[in-house]
Amino acid sequence: MGIILFIGVFMSLESLRIRWERFWDTIVQPTFYNRVLLGLRNTLIIAFVGFLIGFLLGAILSIFKLLPQDKKSSKVFGTISNIYVAIFRGTPIVVQLLVAYYFLLPLFGITASGMSVSVVIFGLNSAAYMCEILRGGILSVDNGQMEAGRSLGFNYLQTMFRIVLPQAIKNILPTLGNELITLVKETSVVSFVGAVDLFTAFQFIGSSNYEYMIPYLMMAVIYIVMVVILTVVIRLIERRLRASDRR
Amino acid sequence: MIDVKNIYKKFGHLEVLKGVSCKIEKGEKIVIIGPSGSGKSTLLRCMNLLEKPTYGEVWLEGSLLTPIDPYLHFDVIRKSKTYGMLLEKYKSENPDADEEKADAEIIAEIKKNDLLKKREGKAYRQAIEALYKENHVNINAVRQKMGMVFQQFNLFPHLTVMQNITLAPTKLKKIPAEQAQEKALALLRKIGLEDKANVYPSTLSGGQKQRIAIVRALAMEPDVMLFDEPTSALDPEMVGEVLKVMIDLAKEGMTMVVVTHEMGFAKEVATKVLFMDDGVIKEANEPKEFFANPQDPRLKDFLSKVL
Repeated sequence: MGIILFIGVFMSLESLRIRWERFWDTIVQPTFYNRVLLGLRNTLIIAFVGFLIGFLLGAILSIFKLLPQDKKSSKVFGTISNIYVAIFRGTPIVVQLLVAYYFLLPLFGITASGMSVSVVIFGLNSAAYMCEILRGGILSVDNGQMEAGRSLGFNYLQTMFRIVLPQAIKNILPTLGNELITLVKETSVVSFVGAVDLFTAFQFIGSSNYEYMIPYLMMAVIYIVMVVILTVVIRLIERRLRASDRR
Repeated sequence: MIDVKNIYKKFGHLEVLKGVSCKIEKGEKIVIIGPSGSGKSTLLRCMNLLEKPTYGEVWLEGSLLTPIDPYLHFDVIRKSKTYGMLLEKYKSENPDADEEKADAEIIAEIKKNDLLKKREGKAYRQAIEALYKENHVNINAVRQKMGMVFQQFNLFPHLTVMQNITLAPTKLKKIPAEQAQEKALALLRKIGLEDKANVYPSTLSGGQKQRIAIVRALAMEPDVMLFDEPTSALDPEMVGEVLKVMIDLAKEGMTMVVVTHEMGFAKEVATKVLFMDDGVIKEANEPKEFFANPQDPRLKDFLSKVL
């Protein structure tokens, strides 16, 4: 019994070693490692630029929703924001990518690469989530802060940006980190519109010699390493922003 | 200086202010007392429009802060269609009536029965718009001249004490940072907290926070200071230090409106004490008379409980 188990483990280890060597022979070739680097670069660009677009647009949308409801215009802005969130949170991101790439682009006669479409769609999609995250953050800041700012003579937007938002962002930093990490991982769907990301790069390596096991494992490792690094960075930022809480 | 004209404030169906008028002259120290829920904080917050009055007007040094309330302007009422209709009817009924008397009666009737509607004709609308244009000022500019101190301090927790004080002067009045800091330090020295300039508010006691909140408002060099129950959230032993800052401020001649439960402060500092109950000012008098010889039965009852 023990012998069979030993042979089994030995054989699978042996086959793993062979597979690893085949993978290694492939990856050291410039065509392949360049592809991985390009994929890694694109993944990070889509995630970070998307995050940035999402944050800025989300901030605007959340403020639209929270404008003091004493004017007609603020109700219009609020409705715009609600519709936006309903559309972009109500459909899967793959569907949004496909609609943008295969429907909207030809419809308006625009030529754009899958990569740029991906960046924009990730930004727009993330904005819908960011809007709600930021709204929660802004609501978590005591109303007295807004009143204190207004009583000093700041207008609504000045108070929002100088006093309320900095505190709101501190409160939602863990959630923002979550959103960034989600974006990094979700980039694996951009192959649907022909953009090269980490996933397509490793698929390419696997398909070159029909050896998928190690490439996909390596892909998982790279994703984990990226996310762990991000987690640490976010924690550092959080600690910095919490400086004012220390007693 | 501040002129509050017949303001009403409704929160949904709850009517908190029911026609409050008061005038505050330069250098006066008005103390507003009354049971909780009487509308005294709401009145104070209406003065700098943190709450918008439902009806009525608030004026600051000849500038209008709120929208026009037509019932306060007889000229506007006279231009309305309703007035015209009532005047004709009146004339047909009493052909030889005195015109002044007719005018007074019609205006009284319109005011009493709230007859003005939204559509009152072009002349009426133009009169309102002209009045508004002539007198209305931007509330944000006005608030720079009205300091406010809150019950819950409302210091900005993400900024240091120094940044709390200099934020508004540097950003709104464009005072150079160094100059603003010097001034802030001078103000902090006066209240004995200069060593706290670079700490965050979370490290301070309630009394220290409130004193710094007062300094933050003073840094804008306001013409009038509004205090919304400044000592109600403090430990009893910290009340004194905050009151002392307020008394010093009063001695320097600052115009102050103070909502408080500190009767000692009212007796010592006030030039006039207002008693509010159920959304109206029940009694207004200088402090000696006010406390020694209260007239309103509700005030007598209130004073017998708190003194």
